Amino acid sequence: MTIRTLTDWTGVVGTVMLGATAADGGTRSVSYTLGGESDLPFLGDPPSGHIPLVAFELCDDPAIWPAVVREYAGDLSNDPGKWAKAAEADYGADLVRLSLTSTRRKDFSGYAALKTTIQEVLRKCRLPLIVEGSNDPSIDSEVFAVCGEAGEGERLLLGTAEAGRYRSVAAAAMAYHHAVVAQSPIDINLAKQLNILLHEIGVPSDRIVIDPYTGALGYGFEYSYSVMERIRYSALKGDTDLAMPMISAPTDSLTVKEVRDAAPAARQDIAVKWEYYTALSSAIAGAAIVCVRHPRTVPLLKDTLAALWSGQTPGKV
Amino acid sequence: MPTVTFLPSFRKAVVDREGTLMEAALNAGINLNVVCGGQGKCGKCVMFVKSGVAEFDRDQFGRFFSPEELESGACLACQTRVIDDASVFVPESSHIQEQKILIETLGLETEFHPSVWKYPLVLNPPSLDDPSPDLTRLLWGIEKKGGPREGKIYAPLEVIRSIPRVLRDSGWKITATVALVPGGYRLIDVEKGDTSSRLYGVAVDLGTTTVVVFIRSLVDGRVVGVASNYNKQISCGEDILSRVNYARKGGLAKLQSLAAESINTAITRAANQAGVDREDIHEVVIAGNTIMTHILMGIDPAYMIEEPYVPVVRRYLTAAASRVGLEVKENAGLFIFPAVSDFIGGDIVADVLASGMSESSEVSLLIDIGTNFEVVLGNRDWMFSCAGAAGPALEGGEVLFGMRANPGAIEQITLDLETLTPAYRTINHEKPRGICGSGLIDLLAELLRACVIDRTGRINTVIAHPRIRLGPHFPEFVVAWKEETGIGKDIVITENDIKNLIMSKASILAACITLMNEAGISRNGIDRIYFTGAFGNYLSKENAIIIGLIPEVPLERIRTIGNGAIEGANIALVNRKKRKQLDEIARTMAYIELNATPSFMDEYTRGCFLPHTDLSLFPVVEKMLDECRIHRG
Repeated sequence: MTIRTLTDWTGVVGTVMLGATAADGGTRSVSYTLGGESDLPFLGDPPSGHIPLVAFELCDDPAIWPAVVREYAGDLSNDPGKWAKAAEADYGADLVRLSLTSTRRKDFSGYAALKTTIQEVLRKCRLPLIVEGSNDPSIDSEVFAVCGEAGEGERLLLGTAEAGRYRSVAAAAMAYHHAVVAQSPIDINLAKQLNILLHEIGVPSDRIVIDPYTGALGYGFEYSYSVMERIRYSALKGDTDLAMPMISAPTDSLTVKEVRDAAPAARQDIAVKWEYYTALSSAIAGAAIVCVRHPRTVPLLKDTLAALWSGQTPGKV
Repeated sequence: MPTVTFLPSFRKAVVDREGTLMEAALNAGINLNVVCGGQGKCGKCVMFVKSGVAEFDRDQFGRFFSPEELESGACLACQTRVIDDASVFVPESSHIQEQKILIETLGLETEFHPSVWKYPLVLNPPSLDDPSPDLTRLLWGIEKKGGPREGKIYAPLEVIRSIPRVLRDSGWKITATVALVPGGYRLIDVEKGDTSSRLYGVAVDLGTTTVVVFIRSLVDGRVVGVASNYNKQISCGEDILSRVNYARKGGLAKLQSLAAESINTAITRAANQAGVDREDIHEVVIAGNTIMTHILMGIDPAYMIEEPYVPVVRRYLTAAASRVGLEVKENAGLFIFPAVSDFIGGDIVADVLASGMSESSEVSLLIDIGTNFEVVLGNRDWMFSCAGAAGPALEGGEVLFGMRANPGAIEQITLDLETLTPAYRTINHEKPRGICGSGLIDLLAELLRACVIDRTGRINTVIAHPRIRLGPHFPEFVVAWKEETGIGKDIVITENDIKNLIMSKASILAACITLMNEAGISRNGIDRIYFTGAFGNYLSKENAIIIGLIPEVPLERIRTIGNGAIEGANIALVNRKKRKQLDEIARTMAYIELNATPSFMDEYTRGCFLPHTDLSLFPVVEKMLDECRIHRG
């Protein structure tokens, strides 16, 4: 069935390129173009733009990672390189998102190790890479410089810029030709303001991916959904400050009360479902990339998205 | 009960055990600088405990002081409990200082149509041939002099009682005073001899903080005396909400008498200056905010601060001035401006009258800025109004070195865009002690132009410059080095100050835009912007636009009308035709409740950016910012 929208939108979501193949001077096996949509998500036959991508998120220090994932992944979670390889070969992810959780430690100073980890991940996994750096202004500048340099030529997506701390990540992205995740707290106007701030220090639109911040299903997700919807509407209506593709990382969905309190035997299943529904809803709201942390969520999501994209009814979850 | 001795004046006061130093200070007649009304938020009521026993929570409020200051007993008077006899030092800066009270007005010309007249009469004494009663004789005399017809004038009993004596003692040469009141004419006084040149009226702006009084001759309309002073209710709470709470706790009568006393003091001062006897003041016209006028009239304002926020009365009020304790001629009439809502009072109706917007086909936006702001948009056919809280930042509260417009306040600043060296002007050309609202707006605009702050107001600490540094809590910019200042400390503006200022300005801009959206008017459709109130008078129009305090319009469309409330009260005093329009203005003005307007919060967030998230609303500023960025590279 084709649904025709009765609007005369002229705006188009801008595009952002992630990942550099050998042809572009990188070592990735594939590169992606995000964005380019001229309609609401999943409408049209075929839908405009590109099918949402699924990023598998892993970390370099699993201490603060969800227990269900550590339990499922076992030893793999202690080796980011191997884990990334599994994400590509076993889980079937489109991208890998490396969260540098080691930087959250008190008095962090392991910059050299960060570089090694990133290079290791890049070597063992050929998918385009998202790197999530520190979130402490006092080390940001050094951490992002390391990230930027370690991934030079690979067209990474570097995160995360926020209104209060965007200069370091933007500087690294510009110096080493990466794109930037621009995160704002569930508010369309704050999202727009951050994009403007990034523009004003020289980050071009085709290097910005909006992260409107995603709350887990049942924990404020409807606000995130609504903001993503509004951002897409604004882009279609011609607001160039909001015409960037979006990334959604509902990172809390594996630690919600329902997962924590579930009977041990059912916990893995509930966790996967919680993450799956949250991420799927984000894709329907307009996210170009959805990030998940549970390996089992990846194939589920990919199948459903592919089915929705081709206009079929998805199979049983 | 403990006794507190205040140094250096050695004034003493007794206070309840565990009462605050602030209460003790009030008892001692010391007027403290309390911007926040005693909530421990503004850090202005600084004292130093020299001896004795007093408790001050340093963990909670110590942030206002340096370790050295704490060492020497620094505390906030409003947060310090007196346990036993104590002696405390009160620095000069903790006193309320002479503030610029705005009595400047546009000096609008208005026609002279007074509502009170004096008729000097020489009457024929009664005789057997002419036996008409005294009152009839008097009223006929008025009619013959061109006054209202005899049957149209109401004579109250107390005036009738005075007539037989006055007529005969004066040899039938008397002066009758007649006033136009709701429902007709009223004989308000009969005096011996010809006093017709001694006829005065008073226009009053009854503000939450200040009272301004004009005395005018009602023979020719001329201003003969002007005076102002603080509203004495300040001792019961600085802001309007704390006054209402005071009234709720049984303090209405005290607030009422303090309001009357404040007006009386100003009238006395103006009358003395003009050589006018207060007994010759026959009319008083008062414009004030809704709560102030309710309190003055002795009407309980308790329910006005609760949902659904309804005033007791909206229409104009009249009474004999003496009934509310005003010390003027006993039967003098009192006219109180009508209000629109709890938050749009007679002062705003007076502003509208003064601006002339209610008589023009041009669309005007009128803005009154204070801790609370009011905005009116419209013309002679329609008007929308709204009010809200802007926070105290624009008046110097919640800003580390913010202060009111007192001597030593930096009121104007420019930055050298190359060297970042500020050039400033202070009030009374004293050494700087802080920065007042107009200075803060200049500073914000200049820091933006110099690219020291980004459009969210965050200081770019990457810039290597001695004036840009990390303060104890926030990044800051040094406006004046301690050697230049009158307080022995560097005067800085912190990122947090800037954030507070931006939130204040955003609420005002959002209110303007919300009204514009309600009315379907774009910024190009605004023919005039009027600033009223003390704040608007001293501020740079250009910088107000650069920071996005108001919508961008060509500068020549922006006017300041000074103290519009006193201006409007003056107009109503001398021109009864304008006075008649007031109820109509109040009725025409639709009140928009911002909290019930969903788009307001969106507009507010959009406004929390310099000047605004959508630069297409500020094309001239956009161009300027582009140039500045290119200049800075």
